[in-house]
Amino acid sequence: MMISFILNGQEVASAAKANERLLDILRTEFTRTGVKCGCKEGECGACSVILDGKLVNSCMVAMGYVEGSTVMTIEGYRETERFAALDRAYASVSAVQCGFCIPGMILASECILAKNPKPTEAEIRAGISGNLCRCTGYNAIVKAIGLAAKEGEGLW
Amino acid sequence: MERISKSIKKKDHESKINGSALYVDDHFIDGLLCGKILHSAKAKARIAKIILPELPDGYLVVDKNDVTGINRVAIIVHDTPVYAEDTVEYVGEPILMVVGPKDTEVEKIINKIVVVYEEQIPVLDVRKSDTAFFHYNYAKGDMDKALAEADHILIETFQTGYQEQAYLETQGLIAYPQDGRMTVRGSMQCPYYVHSAVAKAIGCDGKDVQIIQDVTGGGFGGKEAFPSILACQVAVAAKKANKPVKVIFDRREDMEFTSKRHPSVSTYKVAIKNGEITGMDIDVLFNSGAYTTLSAVVLQRGLICANGVYRIENLRVAGRAVKTNTVPCGAYRGFGAPQTFFAVEIMMDHIAKEMGIDSLELKERYMVKQGDATSTSGSYHFHVPLPEMIQRIDELTDYRAKRKLYKNQIGRYRKGIGLSMFFHGCGFTGSGERDIIKAVVKIRKNADNTVEILASNADIGQGLKTTFCKIVADTLGISYGQVYIHNPDTDRVPDSGPTVASRSLMTVGGLLQRAAEKLKKEWQDGEEQVVEEHFVEPDFVIPFSLTDFSGDAYPTYSWSVNAIEVEVDTLTATTKILGAWGIFDVGVPIDMNIIVGQMEGGFLQGIGYASMEQMDYNDKGMIRNNSFSDYIIPTAVDVPNLVTEIMNNPYTHGPYGAKGAGELPLVGAAPAYVEAMENALDANLYKVPFTPEDAMEILQEVNK
Amino acid sequence: MVNSYRPTSLQEALNILAKEAVTPYSGGTDLMINPDVNATYLFLAKVPEMNQIVADTEHIRIGAACTFTDIIENELVPSILKEAALQIAAPAIRNLGTVGGNICNGSPKGDSALILFAIDAKLRLVSSRGERVLPITAFYLGRKKTALQADELLVEILMDRKGLNNYYYKKVGARDALAISRVSFAAILNVTDRKILNCITAFGAVSDVIIRRAEIDAMLIGKTIEEAKAAKEEYFAAYDQKIVPIKGRISAEYRKAVCMNLLRDFLKSNGI
Repeated sequence: MMISFILNGQEVASAAKANERLLDILRTEFTRTGVKCGCKEGECGACSVILDGKLVNSCMVAMGYVEGSTVMTIEGYRETERFAALDRAYASVSAVQCGFCIPGMILASECILAKNPKPTEAEIRAGISGNLCRCTGYNAIVKAIGLAAKEGEGLW
Repeated sequence: MERISKSIKKKDHESKINGSALYVDDHFIDGLLCGKILHSAKAKARIAKIILPELPDGYLVVDKNDVTGINRVAIIVHDTPVYAEDTVEYVGEPILMVVGPKDTEVEKIINKIVVVYEEQIPVLDVRKSDTAFFHYNYAKGDMDKALAEADHILIETFQTGYQEQAYLETQGLIAYPQDGRMTVRGSMQCPYYVHSAVAKAIGCDGKDVQIIQDVTGGGFGGKEAFPSILACQVAVAAKKANKPVKVIFDRREDMEFTSKRHPSVSTYKVAIKNGEITGMDIDVLFNSGAYTTLSAVVLQRGLICANGVYRIENLRVAGRAVKTNTVPCGAYRGFGAPQTFFAVEIMMDHIAKEMGIDSLELKERYMVKQGDATSTSGSYHFHVPLPEMIQRIDELTDYRAKRKLYKNQIGRYRKGIGLSMFFHGCGFTGSGERDIIKAVVKIRKNADNTVEILASNADIGQGLKTTFCKIVADTLGISYGQVYIHNPDTDRVPDSGPTVASRSLMTVGGLLQRAAEKLKKEWQDGEEQVVEEHFVEPDFVIPFSLTDFSGDAYPTYSWSVNAIEVEVDTLTATTKILGAWGIFDVGVPIDMNIIVGQMEGGFLQGIGYASMEQMDYNDKGMIRNNSFSDYIIPTAVDVPNLVTEIMNNPYTHGPYGAKGAGELPLVGAAPAYVEAMENALDANLYKVPFTPEDAMEILQEVNK
Repeated sequence: MVNSYRPTSLQEALNILAKEAVTPYSGGTDLMINPDVNATYLFLAKVPEMNQIVADTEHIRIGAACTFTDIIENELVPSILKEAALQIAAPAIRNLGTVGGNICNGSPKGDSALILFAIDAKLRLVSSRGERVLPITAFYLGRKKTALQADELLVEILMDRKGLNNYYYKKVGARDALAISRVSFAAILNVTDRKILNCITAFGAVSDVIIRRAEIDAMLIGKTIEEAKAAKEEYFAAYDQKIVPIKGRISAEYRKAVCMNLLRDFLKSNGI
């Protein structure tokens, strides 16, 4: 029996078993390798996706949980205008170093701004507190999200 | 700001941010088999027997018997086995690999294999080890005389613990045989190190091995030598299977079994006469783990930094890197310097306290300046910007006033501020660059006037693709968009040396600048041209002798002063970082955003090292904190905005004035943090990490 | 789905649970760390009674499959529980993790379980055989052992509507996010007519189960603030005896010191 859900705006069906990890199925069956695996224990956020509008660690989600749900990965999000604003902001401060945390960080950025279009620095930091980054020290990422909030007037 | 420093959009920004960049685990290859290593469960044992289950079709086991070349990984001294032979020397030592089409099946097979060990007694206490892999000594002046004539001798011992690189992308490689050659690709810093190791392990000619670096999710030194070991294992497996084999470590495996920063124990014996420091007698012990790997060079650097930024007339330094039955330690940003800079900075704090003066006052008296001798009787050939850095830090933080203010607090919350001053020697220690690496770069101009950079240095997040292209484009006077660089492939690029030792910009960038200058002179529109440049040691360098341990260990130094302000909650002994400031001299930044990003990232790693990154092994030699929930690195809410400033001090012999940048920012955070904790707790401290448990012990002592 | 179930009513869920060896799955954030490849999951996200937060005359009732984000965003939820939920892990985990999963995991480090101890919450456990309401203090039988029976589901958590405003809560972890508790402490104190009406303290992450000593707290009940001041050293001495942290990777001495410090501070913050 197939598991049906909406992936990046398209209706899809997976042959996966209900107890397989969403992360694994997204990366293999659906070849969405933009979803990264950093720990498989919900501790790093590299595998973050947006499930029914909420940021989740896809390594913590069993396939059966997503039946009928909406899943967005970086591959879907990058088509949006909001992504373009975050892209420009992150580029302007060179916030992307090794890049491994970045797809998850971008989706976390989206979830912060979707809820709170004018976040304070503390709110930004809290919003990315589940996304580990080892390269940047977080400064540039926090700055980028703040810039996107400012420049992306009306987008969120 | 120099023109070159103006920040530009990074070459690899787009592919990484839109998720299309391909890291090693993102490749889909036909017929790819997955491999998993069976690691030793014992710290020291003889392998009596290995009992394999029946293997389903298409699944195989790979071990020492399948090594067609030499069963040793070529890393300096070749003692690391590719696959374990008769004994295992640490928990985690690779014994064999299981390879097959489905990862779940491979795991099942691994779990069914029984290794029969004849356990032996492991050596786990670094002080009890009887095997010194390496030892070095050097001295200046007359230390014995200084001790004999001292009116006071202060003896203290400092300890530093492991640090795990915790790159977000774990170790991973793919090996595949094709047309009689072997290709290995994946996450790495040094393609030519891997190249040399693989050729020897499978026993073939260098021309039959191809190594490709994939987009790499962080390295910090953890992918300097370790990938050579994994590459040999995967290549041997791929050769046996005659199919592509991929091994990706899972996080726990990576944390427990891959190389880390050497834990250290350093004892300082300081002679004081008439209120002056007349000599330092220093003994340094590094825990190498079970095999030598990079310990020789890490120890060298640690010893060179043992007296810090201070002019000490009488100096005696002895150091050993000893064997224990634990995971072999290797490179991590700083490479021996964080250990000894911690010790010497805190030692100076304690001496100052003993003398009844503030630590900064004491340190300023002994800070070196241009023209002074280095620890190894070389010279500080260039300006030392410490005085102006201290001034700037004091302006930013009010350090001097706060030091006085924070003495003797009694409330629930206790604040403290600490300062450290330190350097990082730029490039390879001694004459390694000249005698061993012998870097070569090439630049190829295409007929369409685009220019390709051919170098083996790996962009691991530090922005080399961008900075290398900026240097070449600017020198040639063409647009940034006309210059490009691919991930290094040993079939196509010369060996410009490894991506280590903060050498890429200064040394390889310098070679690229010269190559570009040459191309500019010879430029022919519409023609394909190739220009090559070879490393030449700067002429002012006093040659370094490893046997005498003297001379210029480095051509120049990058400098820094850090200050960290803390607030301790005495109820829970937890510490909040109120502020972290760093002034950094790395010469002229080739790209301001990239350099500042390196400073911020390194600074936070140093803060983690100082405060929360605790890792240790138990009495069976097992590392227990092997996951992100147990090995604690900082999240975005654990620090405030880090304040970093770049000081303008161009290096005459670096491209555009640049010098070594990558490692400096990690080196001095720990002593700044611990000095701040000393200020807050009004106590002398001796270890890193200094955790809430440690703070609570101090607080309880005071209460008694 | 043959390898999982998605019941849309409580009755349906209970019938399945009664007949088959299924694993109840609400948020998955514990289950998915080391998943059992042979598990048949009983997904609970569509069971209405388990996914709502309502109030009746006496109680606030929180469905066990409500996520921590649901709890933080619902105005009915008492502040003490919101404060604890906000400090759990990080946003992505809070969007999935549920209070029911946190409780049934059985760990003494459970952040929401600690609060429920301090507010005397009750658990409504239902099976196809019937239902029972158990005070949370009776739910934990030992380390990772709960009173939940194989065919039972934790459906709702019930807590008083009033009397939960004057609270003290502190979570001590290794860092400020993504941290498992090393010590956690929650307390409620209510004073009426200048007499202490009730006093509840609970200590988490220091023992096999959350520590709650109603008989020691009783030492302060019925006393005025002044009388309580006089009795406090005896109160501390009694707790000093009873809090014996288990040896773990974080030292028992550290945990003990933190517990006693927080206990003192709790009384101090109430003028005692």
